[in-house]
Amino acid sequence: MTNALEVRGLRKSYGEKAVLKGIDLSVGRGDIFALLGVNGAGKTTALSCIEGLRKYDGGTISVNGRIGIQLQSAALPAHIKGAEAVELFARWNRKTADHSMLAALDTGSIAGKRYQEMSTGQKRRLHLALALICDPDIVFLDEPTAGLDVEGRISLHRYIRELKARGKTIVLATHDMAEVESLCDSIAILRDGRIAFAGTVIELTEKIGKHYNIQIRTDQGTETYGTGDIVASLTAILKSYQEKNAVIQDIRVDRGSLEQHFLKIAKGE
Amino acid sequence: MNGFLYGVALQWKLDLRSRTMLITCYAVPLLFFAVMGGIFTSVMPESRETLIQSMTVFAVTMGALIGLPPSLVETYRSDVKNAYQANGVPLSLGLALINSSAFVHLLIMSGILYAAAPVLFDAKLPEHPGIYFSGLVVLIAVSLSAASVVGLAVKDTANTSMISILLFLPSTMLSGIMFPKEMLPKAFVIAGKFFPAAWGYEWMTAPGFSWRTLCPLLGIFLAACIVCGILLKRIRTR
Repeated sequence: MTNALEVRGLRKSYGEKAVLKGIDLSVGRGDIFALLGVNGAGKTTALSCIEGLRKYDGGTISVNGRIGIQLQSAALPAHIKGAEAVELFARWNRKTADHSMLAALDTGSIAGKRYQEMSTGQKRRLHLALALICDPDIVFLDEPTAGLDVEGRISLHRYIRELKARGKTIVLATHDMAEVESLCDSIAILRDGRIAFAGTVIELTEKIGKHYNIQIRTDQGTETYGTGDIVASLTAILKSYQEKNAVIQDIRVDRGSLEQHFLKIAKGE
Repeated sequence: MNGFLYGVALQWKLDLRSRTMLITCYAVPLLFFAVMGGIFTSVMPESRETLIQSMTVFAVTMGALIGLPPSLVETYRSDVKNAYQANGVPLSLGLALINSSAFVHLLIMSGILYAAAPVLFDAKLPEHPGIYFSGLVVLIAVSLSAASVVGLAVKDTANTSMISILLFLPSTMLSGIMFPKEMLPKAFVIAGKFFPAAWGYEWMTAPGFSWRTLCPLLGIFLAACIVCGILLKRIRTR
């Protein structure tokens, strides 16, 4: 089965400045994929080229299916109502709006609301609804949860999972590592115009090396230990506490955060 | 109803919701008509002969030059443009919708003036309605095309308002609708010929069709269309 998206050797420069220096990407059908990178890494440029909104200098892009795009910096006329916007874009695309998907996005609650009166979350949902009007196979979402409160993020994540359940491929550009961890099947990290990592979240943590934090609270205080070998370390630590006659009240073990792993790769640390 | 007609109808509604269009297309021209119509016909009773034409030229020029550009700036100098591009809508379609809607507004306003002037001020209906209405349609189209250049070229609403007024004032003052052109210095008469209002007024008050009035209007229209095309291309690639 062909991938939903294949990018090979994508290059783009602005004047003398090379922003993309030959990037390769593959996104499987039905996957949620995130393109990550620090500010200025070239995420938006790469996505704009893939979406067909920007010309590129070299390489090949193969998009297998219809695409829907939700841009972070998109707006609608201040006085347009939600239902009118959906109807307008549906007619322009010569489509009948998929009302079951719109219902999942809860666009009914903003149908009669003017754009200028909508909250950030409602605007995001409306733009997502517009991106879905042409019943795309691949949906591009640029920073979909930026500026949303917790409730807004949770409900948008639910919509994204709903899209995946309907067989859509999702391509995200985001800074939110919690979002990446909870949603994405695969990721790619851009660094200085090149792909510094491509794979799954688990592969990312493995690439950096296994790292765990062990936090132990006793009647004598709280200590935190970092380790790559959790069994050996924990055994040794517990033995030392036993020798000190400390009463262990709580033990917590966690993997190093995804942010730490991301920054190591994205900044080349 | 296809997408374009739905878009025009929706844009027309959006214009009514936006106060700018409502004020510039209807409120101010009607107020001007009510005040100046009374003054003109009292001071110069002979102005009844051309009251409908002069008030219509004023309304069309104001609605187009001052009313249209802010809508274009709102669309093309903001993130609205991104929503169009992201959803596969050609940028030129937005321009077409906004212009078509404005055309309908200006036609409605002209109709109101045509119907009200004889009743309120005993104004004389145009002797040659065919000439009057063809001139009106051409004047609206040419004025909107010139206004589109302003709306697409200027980057923000503050500058748009300033430039629109700078074009609107000479356009109406030198067109002959306020006072006969013969009273103006020759340089002003020549300057007036660069604006659609002067030619539109001449057409609408003429006893018959003349290429002399059509050609300059056609020239302004074609030039404006070319410039709009170039500006749209620049906006698309920006």
